[in-house]
This record gives sequence, structure tokens and C-alpha cells, in this order.
Amino acid sequence: MTSGSPTSSGRTADTLVIIPAYNEAEALPSTIADLRTTRPDLDIVVVNDGSSDSTAAVAKAAGVVVITLPYNLGLGGALRTGFRYAIRSGYSRAVQFDGDGQHDATSIAALEGALDAGADLAIGSRFRAVEGGYQVGSTRSGAMGLLRWLVRILTGEKFTDTTSGFRGFSVPMLQFFGTHYPVEYMESVEALILAHGAGFDVREVAVQMSERETGAASTRGLRLAYHFCRVLVVMVISKGALRRPDAGDAAASEPVANEVES
Amino acid sequence: MTSTAHLLWVVLAVVLLIAIALILMLVRRRNLRSKYGLLWVAVGVALVPLAVFPGFVDWAARKVGVYYQPTVIMLSAIGLLILLAMHYSWELSRLEERSRTLAEEVALLRAEGDEMRSRLDSLESDGQDGPPGRV
Repeated sequence: MTSGSPTSSGRTADTLVIIPAYNEAEALPSTIADLRTTRPDLDIVVVNDGSSDSTAAVAKAAGVVVITLPYNLGLGGALRTGFRYAIRSGYSRAVQFDGDGQHDATSIAALEGALDAGADLAIGSRFRAVEGGYQVGSTRSGAMGLLRWLVRILTGEKFTDTTSGFRGFSVPMLQFFGTHYPVEYMESVEALILAHGAGFDVREVAVQMSERETGAASTRGLRLAYHFCRVLVVMVISKGALRRPDAGDAAASEPVANEVES
Repeated sequence: MTSTAHLLWVVLAVVLLIAIALILMLVRRRNLRSKYGLLWVAVGVALVPLAVFPGFVDWAARKVGVYYQPTVIMLSAIGLLILLAMHYSWELSRLEERSRTLAEEVALLRAEGDEMRSRLDSLESDGQDGPPGRV
């Protein structure tokens, strides 16, 4: 086990909610307040991804743990930091949660349920939700459709919401993603393929999502097209590139007693 | 070959030698990592005989069946530069990954430090009434 030294963290729960936040000062307080009222039993960490606004101060004022990155690393980097924090603090699962109020706190239970049932990566799907149909633009839905199709070909399984950022992670998944989580834009699909190819149990769960409270989708047009192509290529060539470390592999990290010098 | 052509080759050879000396100096001053320095020195050293014995290029071109001799130099130069560019991309990716991990670690350590400080503060204020005196 890599639990390391007994952490001095203020862990009071089994599940950690990781909120990656980049210039999210406006929506963050209500998101945290909502989480607190809906799920008072969870610990929350905000990973401030080099924000230029008062994100860190606002989060601190809300009384959650804040990890501030020295400069903007993008969503992937912020998540990786959160994953490593979760591992080091000894949490038994973690949930990625959006800072802008897009995700529904009551749905966290569904993700936790999937993790407890043996999933390593539980993906919250807005399209599986029964009520409150989620609307996306036509270009976006076309791109999403293509991704969905490719993911189905690569994994042999049907995922309805491949770009969802509402996800739950088991401890082995956190350990794996702590170093291997993709760091470029649209990393969520890449992460799905990576985890599935590495032999992790990836499942989809129906969740509630609302339309974005503030701000729009961060990228559009040419940049989106570029990243889309990049992700397509990366998905195809990186399928199964990394394997889930077996329990036996952990022995490799044990110190070998061959330091006999004479 | 005319004497002006000979002069050109001499100038080229001198320029190369100066370039090599410059690279060695940069490495000596630690402005250039030795692995890159050595690479460029090797390139320079490989070019010196070409400058001194231009006949070699003509001979090599004939051997490979190239009519226009400079093409041989151009092609090998382009090949070498592409390899170098690829190497740099690789190196750059590795560096980015490392600086990223470093930034993440710094953030985690800072959060841990904050946590410890606040715990220490609460511990100290528990131990005695009033603010703890600085030692």
C-alpha cells in the first residue's frame, strides 16, 4: 500500500469532492453552499488552477481546503493534483465536481453507489437521466456523437456521455490517474479510453445536470476542431498503452536489500 | 578548381573551427549542457573534412548517383535537422511533464503547510490563554 505516513490531514469523510476551479469566484460560493446543505457528510477540496480572480479567497472563506497551483495547468493538471491529495489524505473514493453549479449534488450518491459496487471509474451521464433533458448545441452534439461512436468502437461498450466531468474514482483509479491523467483539453474522453484500456472497471451512471450557471463552454471554433482531431488520434493510438498495475507490481516499489557495499 | 573556390573552402573551414571553439566555450561556461554541446561539436567536426576536402562530396555524390553534388549536403543536413527537431520535441515534452508535476507538488506542499500552520496555531492558543509569544 502507498498510504505512506499517517496523514495529518483533516480527513473527516470517506469521500472527497474535488472541485477544479479556474476563475470561478462568482459561482463557487453557491456551489459549495449547495454541496454543504445537500451532502454535509463529504469533505471538499478546491483546486485553484492559477486563477486570476478571487477564487482562492472565496473558497477559503467557504471553509474548504484550497490547493492553489502556482500557474494555470488546465483541468487535467488540477484534477491530477486533487487525485494525489485524495490519495495522500487517505480517502477511499473521490468525486470530480464542477465549480460552476452544473452538477447536482444529490447525484453524488449515484456515483458513490457505482464505486461501492466495484466500479473504478463512475461516469455521470446527463443523457441517461430520466427527467430534465439536457440540451446541447447542434455542433457540439454532432461532435459528441462522433466521440460516442469512437468510444464505442474502442471500448466495445456504450457510453452515452463521454465528455462528462461529473465522475467518481476508486482508490486504484486515483493512484493511476494521479500520474497518468491526460492533461490537454478534452481530457475526459481520453481518460475514459485510458482507464478502460488499462483494465479498469468503467461504468456509466445517470445523473442530473443543469445548464451552465455562468460562463459558456470554454472553447469553440477552430480550437475546438483542433482539439477534437487531436483527441481522435490520441484515443486511437493510446488504446491500451498503459496497463493497470497488478497487486504483484507493487512489490517492485519495495526497497531491495542489495545495498551491500564493501 | 580556381583559387577563389579554394579560398571559399578555406573560409568555410575557418568559420567551422570558430563555431566549434564557440560551442566548447559555451559548454565550459556551463551556458550549454555538455550533451548538446558535444552534439554540435560532433556536427562541426563531421563538417570540417568536408570543408577541407571538397572532393569528397563530389565522390560521394557520384557513388550515390547524384548529378548535382550540393543536393547530397542539403539532404543530409535536412535529415539531421529533422532528427534534431524530433529530439527537441521529445525533450520538451519531458520537461513540460516534469515542470507540471513540480507545480502540482508545490501546490500540494503549500496546502499541507497551510494546514499544519493553522493546526499549530489552534494548538498553541489552546495551550495558553492569549496569543502565543514568538520565540
